[in-house]
Amino acid sequence: MPDGPTPPHHVNWESPEEFASSPHAALAAPEDGRVRLPWTRVLALGVAAFALWFLLYAPTLQHNAQVSPVGTRRTVSLDVTGPVAALSRALQLSHFVSITGRGNGLSGGAVGLTVAGPRPANPPPKSGPPPKKGGTGTTTPTTVPPNPKDPTAANPLRVLIVGDSIGIDLGDALQPNLAGTGVVSAALDGRVSTGLTRPDYFNWPAELTADLKAQNPQVVVVMIGANDAQDFLGPPDVPYTSPEWNTLYSQRVAQFMQIAGSGGATVIWVGMPPMQSPGLNAQMSDVNAVVQQQAVKAQPPVIYLSTDHTLGTAQGGYTPFVTNGAGQVVNVRTPDGTHLTPGGGQVVSQQVIAELQSLGYKI
Amino acid sequence: MLFPTIDFALFFAIAFTVNWLLNPYAGWWKLSMLGLSYVFYGWVGWSYCLLLLTTTVVAFAGGTWVHATRDERTRRIAMGVSVGALLAILGWFKYYGFVSVNLDNLTHAVGFGRAVPLLQVALPIAISFFTFMAISYVVDIYRRQLEPAKPLDFAVYISFFPHLLAGPIVRGTELLPQIRRRRDPESVDYSRAFWLILAGLFKKVVISSYVSSAIVTPVFTSPTQHSAPEAIFAAWGYAVQIYCDFSGYTDIAIGLAMLLGFRFPQNFDAPYTARNLQDFWRRWHMTLSRWLRDYLYIPLGGSANGQAQTVRNIMITMVLGGLWHGAAWTFVIWGALQGVGQSFAHLRRSSRERRGLPGVAEGPVRAWVQRFLTFQYVCLGWVFFNATGTAQAFSVLGRLFSGWGEASPLITPLLVVAIFGTLASQFVPPLRVDRLQAAFSRQKAVVQVGLLGFALLGITTFGPVGVAPFIYYRF
Repeated sequence: MPDGPTPPHHVNWESPEEFASSPHAALAAPEDGRVRLPWTRVLALGVAAFALWFLLYAPTLQHNAQVSPVGTRRTVSLDVTGPVAALSRALQLSHFVSITGRGNGLSGGAVGLTVAGPRPANPPPKSGPPPKKGGTGTTTPTTVPPNPKDPTAANPLRVLIVGDSIGIDLGDALQPNLAGTGVVSAALDGRVSTGLTRPDYFNWPAELTADLKAQNPQVVVVMIGANDAQDFLGPPDVPYTSPEWNTLYSQRVAQFMQIAGSGGATVIWVGMPPMQSPGLNAQMSDVNAVVQQQAVKAQPPVIYLSTDHTLGTAQGGYTPFVTNGAGQVVNVRTPDGTHLTPGGGQVVSQQVIAELQSLGYKI
Repeated sequence: MLFPTIDFALFFAIAFTVNWLLNPYAGWWKLSMLGLSYVFYGWVGWSYCLLLLTTTVVAFAGGTWVHATRDERTRRIAMGVSVGALLAILGWFKYYGFVSVNLDNLTHAVGFGRAVPLLQVALPIAISFFTFMAISYVVDIYRRQLEPAKPLDFAVYISFFPHLLAGPIVRGTELLPQIRRRRDPESVDYSRAFWLILAGLFKKVVISSYVSSAIVTPVFTSPTQHSAPEAIFAAWGYAVQIYCDFSGYTDIAIGLAMLLGFRFPQNFDAPYTARNLQDFWRRWHMTLSRWLRDYLYIPLGGSANGQAQTVRNIMITMVLGGLWHGAAWTFVIWGALQGVGQSFAHLRRSSRERRGLPGVAEGPVRAWVQRFLTFQYVCLGWVFFNATGTAQAFSVLGRLFSGWGEASPLITPLLVVAIFGTLASQFVPPLRVDRLQAAFSRQKAVVQVGLLGFALLGITTFGPVGVAPFIYYRF
């Protein structure tokens, strides 16, 4: 063993020679001052400590269970944590968690919105209702407002990308591609395991409203839906397979489109790609169908970009490999058959940029 | 199954009880531990168990073949075929997708058709780790350093769940004897085991998660939006993140094994106190370092054939070590940087020793300068290691030349404390952790329960909801 002082992370290990040569059972009785215990007492100690932790932390565990995906695991978790959480609250033990001011971890700084690309010479105007024509504004613009379709480094086009985990796959490629033009300020807000059916888990309408206020985008790119084919939690619950689900989901999508376009931004909604799992693929077809219908109805209309062919076969089926615009074979899907590889993100990114260019944006 | 989850806590309570109840019955113990380890591994996908079983069968058959062969040339062939088969399995899962796409593009570019089928191959977690252990078993038998194990012993050795997912890479000579003998049920070193597990959880769940989300992810995601100081803190932060993540995992693995009555080799030894790159690799992922040394560097010739060949062997070893992490240029550059750093340290030491000087310059000021420079060099490597591509890595590094004078809102007092506190913990003079463990072990049971329960509460409270998988799971 080392003779000198030991730093706190350090463990006094046997030398490699000693480790290799001395069989465990043949080791001399330890003289390190540590008491050893029979395994039954160690088990009792561990179980008691775990039970204490469970009692103290049960309200948070119950909350985490409530916002988890619907299914057997959630049901069992709620059944187990419910009574213990009630006991914890009755004994006022949940105080131990709440005195920290949180209960869901250290905040990690700029986790939400990240912005890349040139900064506007003047900060973007605060979001709000556009001034009415002929209104009674007290200020008169002294310069001509920059044309968003002809952006410059001083007056960059402001783009906001929002999405779930697949949207992040797109955003990870699209954000630097746009920023790399030198004339686009691209903001990305991606949240894994989120969607529009479970605002109790993550409230996208509220998040989008905050993002719009921060970035005041002229273009909003949305790629959300991979986690949406699930029940709406009530009461009453609305099962995914019921006719009411379509109605409710259509309302959620319409509301989200309305918020995205409320500041006058052009809204592009990227559809979910074909999935390897037939079940998930059918679910994504349902989701895409609702989004397409609502995109047409939105005022002004939302541009729907299908990825069925850019990320799928000629028939719109699933494939992990596609040929990109440069004629090269690219692996576009991760082995889970759901998410996009960086190459897949690039393919969709180019599709979005081509769409923007076709709309007249000089980027 | 991830360690820092309730699923695993329940699993381990069962495994711990079964381990000690069946301890007197060797056969039943081995069968139960094998079954539990396969449940542990198959939790995310049962098909992966078939891969684990295949690797086990190939390595066991290879070891038996090598041992049964008398003729040296045939022994060598048997060893080569067995190791080749194990590497082929690893290569299929790890590199086929990358190679097939690039080969396909190459053959199309020169006017030929498809050379090989394009297949999407999922990378099973932990495949590298158990393949390395399987290779060491075959080679150790070839070198006559190890006798072949019984089939059940060997299957438990490869799949034993505490080390299965990300090491430490335990050798047959270390673990097989422990599997064969009974463990003492009356003498569990629980205070050290609990310390290791809680310290590992704290490093992973609190420090690593926080530093990652506070600085590393934002800066690496959009380097051009961050200042030079933020880029520097992101590189330092990643050094802290990956250390806390990986050493946290191995601390937990070693602690769990200790509770089951097993001893695993040390895997980290204050790596950021290293004074050169050779020193660093004696302290970082030590079981991989010795594996690369014994099964790659030394067979290549080691340092036996002059300086030029030594440098060549170091470079080959470290670049292959980099490629082991994945088929990407970033890992090649990272491996090459490690090779260059180690070669420099080797040549400098040799030069000093030829002049009758100590291998490493002495004196406290020199020592601190060496530590500082070594850490910065290691961080340079980490930038490539963490980047999604060389463009991103150079973009982060580019901020060091162009990002001065900008605001650095991400550098908060808490972040500074987290980064420098973790680094300082590797230098702090004696806090007598052993004494703390001993003092804990002498407390009354109710006090111990309280301390453990509140320590867990602190970790879960300050950690994020939903812990990210360990970085090394993907290797």
